[in-house]
Amino acid sequence: MSDKYTQFVSRGFGRDLAGRLGLPRPVELRRYMAGSPLVPGPVLVIGRQDEGQGKEPEALAAELLSWGLDVRRNALPKEKLGAIVLLLDEVRRPEDLEVPVLTAARSLRDLAAGGRVVTVSRTAESSADPAEAAARQGIDGIVRSVAKELRDGATANGILLGSDAVPRSPGTLGALRFFLSGRSAFVDGQFLTVSTASGRQPGDPDKPLAGKVAVVTGAARGIGAAIARTLHRDGAAIVAVDVPAAGDHLAEVANEVKGTALQLDITVPDAGDRIIHHALERHGSLDILVHNAGITRDKLLANMDDGRWRSVIAVNIASQLRINDAILGSPDLPVAPRIVSVASTSGIAGNRGQSNYAASKGGVIGMVRASAPLLAAQGGTINAVAPGFIETEMTARIPLLTREVARRLNSLQQGGDPGDVAEAIAFLASDAAGGISGEVLRVCGQNLVGA
Amino acid sequence: MPEAALSPEESHERQGQPLARARGVRKAVVIGGNRIPFARSGGAYTRSSNQDMLTAALDGLIARFGLQEERLGEVAAGAVLKHSRDFNLTREAVLGSALSAETPAYDLQQACATGLETVLGLANKIKLGQIDSAVAGGVDSASDAPIAVSDGLRGVLLDLNRAKTLSARLKVLSRLRPKDIAPDAPDTGEPRTGLSMGEHQALTTAQWKITREAQDELAYNSHRNLAAAYDRGFFDDLLTPYRGLTRDSNLRPDTSLEKLATLKPVFGKTLGAEATMTAGNSTPLTDGASAVLLGSEEWADERGLPKLATVLDGEAAAVDFVHGKDGLLMAPAFAVPRLLARNGLTLADFDFFEIHEAFAGTVLSTLAAWEDEDFGRRRLGLPGAFGSIDRSKLNVNGSSLAAGHPFAATGGRIVASLAKMLHAKGMVDGRPARGLVSICAAGGQGVVAILEAYPAAEGGQA
Amino acid sequence: MSADTDGSRKTVFLPEAPALSALYLNAAATAARRRISNARPAADLPDARHGLRGVKADVDKLTAFQHLLGETAGDFLPAGFIHALAFPVAMSVLNRDDFPLPLLGMIHLRNRVDQYRAVHFSESLDIVAWVENLRAHRAGTLVDLVAEVRDTDGELRWKGVSSYLAKGFFLPGVDKPGTDTGGVQGSGPETTFSPPDPTALWILGVDTGRNYASVSGDFNPIHLSVLSAKALGLKRSIAHGMYLASRALAEVGPARSEAFTWEISFEAPVFLPARVSLEISTSRDAGGHWSRSDFTGWNPRSGRRHFIGSAAALG
Repeated sequence: MSDKYTQFVSRGFGRDLAGRLGLPRPVELRRYMAGSPLVPGPVLVIGRQDEGQGKEPEALAAELLSWGLDVRRNALPKEKLGAIVLLLDEVRRPEDLEVPVLTAARSLRDLAAGGRVVTVSRTAESSADPAEAAARQGIDGIVRSVAKELRDGATANGILLGSDAVPRSPGTLGALRFFLSGRSAFVDGQFLTVSTASGRQPGDPDKPLAGKVAVVTGAARGIGAAIARTLHRDGAAIVAVDVPAAGDHLAEVANEVKGTALQLDITVPDAGDRIIHHALERHGSLDILVHNAGITRDKLLANMDDGRWRSVIAVNIASQLRINDAILGSPDLPVAPRIVSVASTSGIAGNRGQSNYAASKGGVIGMVRASAPLLAAQGGTINAVAPGFIETEMTARIPLLTREVARRLNSLQQGGDPGDVAEAIAFLASDAAGGISGEVLRVCGQNLVGA
Repeated sequence: MPEAALSPEESHERQGQPLARARGVRKAVVIGGNRIPFARSGGAYTRSSNQDMLTAALDGLIARFGLQEERLGEVAAGAVLKHSRDFNLTREAVLGSALSAETPAYDLQQACATGLETVLGLANKIKLGQIDSAVAGGVDSASDAPIAVSDGLRGVLLDLNRAKTLSARLKVLSRLRPKDIAPDAPDTGEPRTGLSMGEHQALTTAQWKITREAQDELAYNSHRNLAAAYDRGFFDDLLTPYRGLTRDSNLRPDTSLEKLATLKPVFGKTLGAEATMTAGNSTPLTDGASAVLLGSEEWADERGLPKLATVLDGEAAAVDFVHGKDGLLMAPAFAVPRLLARNGLTLADFDFFEIHEAFAGTVLSTLAAWEDEDFGRRRLGLPGAFGSIDRSKLNVNGSSLAAGHPFAATGGRIVASLAKMLHAKGMVDGRPARGLVSICAAGGQGVVAILEAYPAAEGGQA
Repeated sequence: MSADTDGSRKTVFLPEAPALSALYLNAAATAARRRISNARPAADLPDARHGLRGVKADVDKLTAFQHLLGETAGDFLPAGFIHALAFPVAMSVLNRDDFPLPLLGMIHLRNRVDQYRAVHFSESLDIVAWVENLRAHRAGTLVDLVAEVRDTDGELRWKGVSSYLAKGFFLPGVDKPGTDTGGVQGSGPETTFSPPDPTALWILGVDTGRNYASVSGDFNPIHLSVLSAKALGLKRSIAHGMYLASRALAEVGPARSEAFTWEISFEAPVFLPARVSLEISTSRDAGGHWSRSDFTGWNPRSGRRHFIGSAAALG
């Protein structure tokens, strides 16, 4: 749901006034709805034009055609484009960027509202050649700058290929579909690394989680409830977990998504075993685990007391570590699940008065990176999603002026909604994201803080 | 689950428990339960009707076990204090819940034993193969209790409806007297004796010479045990908040024997002996609802639902309290010996005793009767005293004195809690853990039941 | 999202919920004043929106509402109860001196509610209401009264659009007859209605209006008694439209999903006491889940239709 300011400047007088005064002019973002087109117009696929290098762009264009998209290899004059996909995986020197990037530049003004720019390139770390690494790292700067340049809800994001991944790996295609779709509405200026060729594309793109069993902690309200709804919409059976005191909200959510409610304090020592037991006993499987439960107990560090510090650490990170240990050590899970953790941009950039919260959320990021190889050994993945300014009950407690400023401090000039976070989680939990692990995806509209 | 492959007989042979059981009768298992926190009358649920509370308890149960739009075999519940419009209370609650509207339901009423009787009745249907799944429950509101018009006014109103002409109507109306206008509020008084339940119990308490200190200690333990159970998270999967309440509002975790000792007696003040029954060692009027999910083993297995305990057997008894032969609430003292004899068990064969605390004096009088040689010989026809129980196994997670007692909801509260305790206990000395439920009821009645831990392959699991 | 077409509108936040009784009194006074001064009202709608922050449901009132309308008294607010919560704020917009139509005697023709997510009784709500879409109707002038209810996160949870007809009242500049002919009996194209088999029968006593007034706070005199209704030119008191709508929604039952659109068009008014026949038909999607229910209410004796409406899953 867009905020009042966004509605005001989206129409009539407000739009004119904001334009004249140079005020931010956020638009209502293009969000996913089952059955609506993946992108709002044709997709322009740009690759290196050199002889002998044309195969990958052609193959990718054919793949996009098979998704039912309208694909262009060359821009038509004045035609509105839904997306521009830049295939830059073959760049060897910074000079190689010029032709494809400037080709894209000429079509930038034709990008429709809610359009997408997506680059596909290789990680700089995977090259030992300084010139090649420079060219690859340069793409990072390009994407982040273009994201800031785009208007009308259009976004720019990049896919990075590790040495074991190629442009047509399931993970690459999955990430590409995610970035093109309205599912990534509030993801801007971000990169996802596809490290392996694992994963597979969904049979039905509107039900990518069909047959999966997903556990969502903190599911009684806010982002957690949105995650439960989104995963259910995508086909998963839901185990909704929250503290007993939130049991009435939890029952409402569980009955709505036709799942089961598990009233459980996740900080108890056997929480992991109880989650595994419930999921296996009731649903026969545990395919997805979303660590969403989190609390804030804000206080300047100078005034921090041990109760505030301890409870935030216990709920937000210690419980996740313990539950993950239970999962990795469980003899009952033949394959490790897809784990997605909710971090926060506070854990990346810090936030005044949130040293405890930032410690816990920074901790989530550290945990995710270190856990990826452990999960990989058992066929699972683990990733985090770091929400920026999302309109939730927690952010509603921020003083009005601070909140209003925080909302505008990103390239999309508005706060996201809980569904935006849920969409990113649903993607990372899907089979298509099988080659993506240890990643932290920011859902922040390219927040200027700590970018 | 290797056990599922065994027939009931085989699995019992394996546990070395040759219990009498008719061939072809299957097991009825307790899958789980749910209740809303119990609220003192006039508190959080003042305006909520029985139907509202029962629906809330059902919806929480449905969410816990994923029963949305499921057609269950049958739902049975009841209320002791019931409005005439609630003639189909349980079915109406089912229609208002997330269950399939094609789930049949019926109402049952056996005073405070209503909840336990629904469990036994539905368990029997499951055992006989008539149904595969069921929800047993109960609800009561002392806040939203029905107020009936007086008999005088009722007669006038009924005749008025039948009168055809204006003059006939006026004639009927002329019969109306001012006293007819005063409504009849329900009370817990016995229709045949005019004594309230508390006054009846005061007679029994005095008869069995139960001291004030013993009653206060039982009340204190009830609060302490219930508070500890909450703190331990025992109720995490047994309760769904309602109307902002997350714990039973009668619970006083900070009560002490000293505080209880300061309360003034409220019942038995006109008896010769010292009055010992206070508001602290008697249950308060309470609002609340509970529900228990029952099923056959196959039904539970097909849905991946837990099997906590089996409903082994039950017994009802009644006493002639009208002529003072026995105390009003003493029927369980007769029901339990009969039930145990039929199953070849003694009090020593149980791991948990759930004796409903209508009053502390009720529990203690029952225990005293069982320990009494004379009572055993003359009333129970035994060679001596029936026996005594290990008090450390009594109401270990609190009972009605602390939680409150919304009459028909108490049975469901006890069965769900006991089933969870039994499941956690698992096997004891090579046999499944065993629990005894005893509930006294108005009219000199009592219903008791035996539950056994479901024989889980790996023993108990919390 | 918002149907707002003019971004220059500002929101006037009210310090507290306006008392509806005072609003109706003031409306009567304004009507009298206009009769005396014979002033021609302007053809513009007020720009201002009225808002009220931090509105919370009173649990006792909620329970009484749920019981009267046949809903189970659960912890989530019936969509019709939110309408009642927002109603004083909405009415206060119609009661502004610069609102050009007479509040008293306006007829509720249509109502549409979009409920995006169930609201728990403990939640604090912000309400904003305004009028828009002033247009001519064959029988007078039509206006939409819009109310939006958001939670403290700013998330839109509920939105209602009530279309009101000022019967026999024509404004200069909006005299384009025939632009909107829906609703009110005898004024639109008479569609032939053959009553279906009823699925329910409501028996509404003379006190139906008073009972709903006490749970909703809408003490419009046309609903309260024969005398007060007669004073406003009706032969008897009539049932609140939202009472009928909320009862129909309650009859749809718990199968409805928590995000839904609920619409109703009122045709012949229900004069009290009354019997109303009701027919509800429900359709389900391929997965067997509820997708929509359509309902019709009519007078079983005359066969005249009182209302037609639906509840349908959102999204």
